[in-house]
Amino acid sequence: MAPLIPSQEELDRRRIVDINPETVSNIPSTDFPGHWPGESHEWSLDKFSEGFNVEFHRNERFESSFSLVGLDASIANAFRRILMAEVPSVAIEYVFMNNNTSVIQDEVLAQRLGLIPLKGSVDGINWMRWFKKPTEDDPEGSNPADFNTIVLRLNIECTKNPNADPEEQDPRKLYNYAHVYARDITFHPVGRQEEFFVGDDAIQPVNPDILIAKLRPGQKIDMEMHCIKGIGADHAKFSPVATATYRLLPDIKILRPILGEDAQKFAKCFPKGVIGLESVTQEEAAKQGSGYEGHAGETKAVVRDAFKDTVSRECLRHEEFQNKVKLGRVRDHFIFNVESVGQFESDTLFLESVKVLKLKCARWKRGLTDLMR
Amino acid sequence: MSREAYQVPSSMGGQTAFGDAGASGLDGPMVAYLCGECNARVSLKRGDQIRCKECGHRVLYKERTKRMVQFEAR
Amino acid sequence: MPASVHSQDPDQSMMDAAPQEQDLQFEQEEVPGMEEKRIVVLPGATETAASFQFEGEGHTLGNALRYAIMKNPQVEFCGYTIPHPSETKMNLRIQTYDTTNAVEALEKGLDTLMELCDVVSDKFTVSRDAFNAADADKMRS
Repeated sequence: MAPLIPSQEELDRRRIVDINPETVSNIPSTDFPGHWPGESHEWSLDKFSEGFNVEFHRNERFESSFSLVGLDASIANAFRRILMAEVPSVAIEYVFMNNNTSVIQDEVLAQRLGLIPLKGSVDGINWMRWFKKPTEDDPEGSNPADFNTIVLRLNIECTKNPNADPEEQDPRKLYNYAHVYARDITFHPVGRQEEFFVGDDAIQPVNPDILIAKLRPGQKIDMEMHCIKGIGADHAKFSPVATATYRLLPDIKILRPILGEDAQKFAKCFPKGVIGLESVTQEEAAKQGSGYEGHAGETKAVVRDAFKDTVSRECLRHEEFQNKVKLGRVRDHFIFNVESVGQFESDTLFLESVKVLKLKCARWKRGLTDLMR
Repeated sequence: MSREAYQVPSSMGGQTAFGDAGASGLDGPMVAYLCGECNARVSLKRGDQIRCKECGHRVLYKERTKRMVQFEAR
Repeated sequence: MPASVHSQDPDQSMMDAAPQEQDLQFEQEEVPGMEEKRIVVLPGATETAASFQFEGEGHTLGNALRYAIMKNPQVEFCGYTIPHPSETKMNLRIQTYDTTNAVEALEKGLDTLMELCDVVSDKFTVSRDAFNAADADKMRS
């Protein structure tokens, strides 16, 4: 028996998650074999490839926005979670404090340093291996080497500025190095790092103006920092994204005409650009059963760009729009927003997350073969 | 967080934090402090008046350890 | 974390990797703590119904894998759980019809997910390149 193909209308209905004044409905995915009698829904790569689409809205170096259409929430969510917690990046992990006479305590200073986002040659960072920490099973761990540790130093002393105006009040002019910024951190390549991290590709803070500490004359900070590769699941400082979010594409359906002053009020229920105002044409007014009979020339509300909607449900609170509008979200249209912290470009980050998921599967498949043996 | 084990100052310990190894026989070791007012180095031994020799300020600070201390940046 | 005083030589200079050692490292592209982890079949399993325990996994793989396995018509039931939030373990339950077995269904699920990743990757790259090219054109004109 050939599988039953549901009507387009039914498919459209299934694609929308309904948003009601106080509830949501039609929530879970139902595209599984056995859910709808007679329909197939079996996994097919061709079908997936046909239905899957990527649409870019914005692609800047460190921030991009794109839509993934035609995929299940479980998969989209896996990518989002991997972006935040499992794509590796480099951050300061060990701080060797030789001297710190500033007012900021050693451990607080170390913690602040860890959170400074670093950038450098992407090839170099990809070439880097994990630094294995000593554990109970493996009390040795790995030794610092050029392929797992990056050395940074910060050696700074605040002094009086002899050329300063005696009337001067600003400590930054009165003293040298009264403020310690991320740009004062120096990179010391070792071994093969000299090949990768050259010139602009050297390891450096993404934002040179991050204030690390404030000093007064005579105070010193002298330390060495070791950076390692890690993942966000271990510590947020290793997360390569500032934000990685998605939302479902909003869907607004005007079921019955909204005209005149109501149309203006309706438009005000939404962010700018979501609802447009048009005048009812002669043809529409002439058409029986359209709801526009005798309203030629009046303004009517039309949905212009549902993408911009925030789904505030404001329009559902007003008496005059009752049963005239239906809100929903498209179940399989994910509008991603990925903002990189600066180590990688935002679009490469997404590709990286896909790679991580695939690698995970491959690894467990290997584990499964071991299980069978 | 345990910073470092406390060690009883002894004339034997060649630790830089405790003066210039200037142990003066009877009264125990000399310990270097920093004046809270003028930042001058003040070496004191037991029984000395706690007072800066330069400015007379009565708040003295112990010097920070010269040893390297390791932290995890978390 | 307790800080410790290193009384040793403060010189933190380090060695370069010996060439062979480095190649070895390339082999094992593993997340720390992920090596030697295995799938455990929980007691009470039969040919067509089994629970697998994945160590070090969570909702990320759990839900994605559940979806992929449920897409297989020979699977009667598939679900996952994280029994305790402080243990990084994920249990996956698979019950199949007689035409296959649980392990096969799991393997097929992993394959499904991998081929899905390839499609996503390819389509994403194509779309991005097209967008960047269009953007560059706009800049030029």
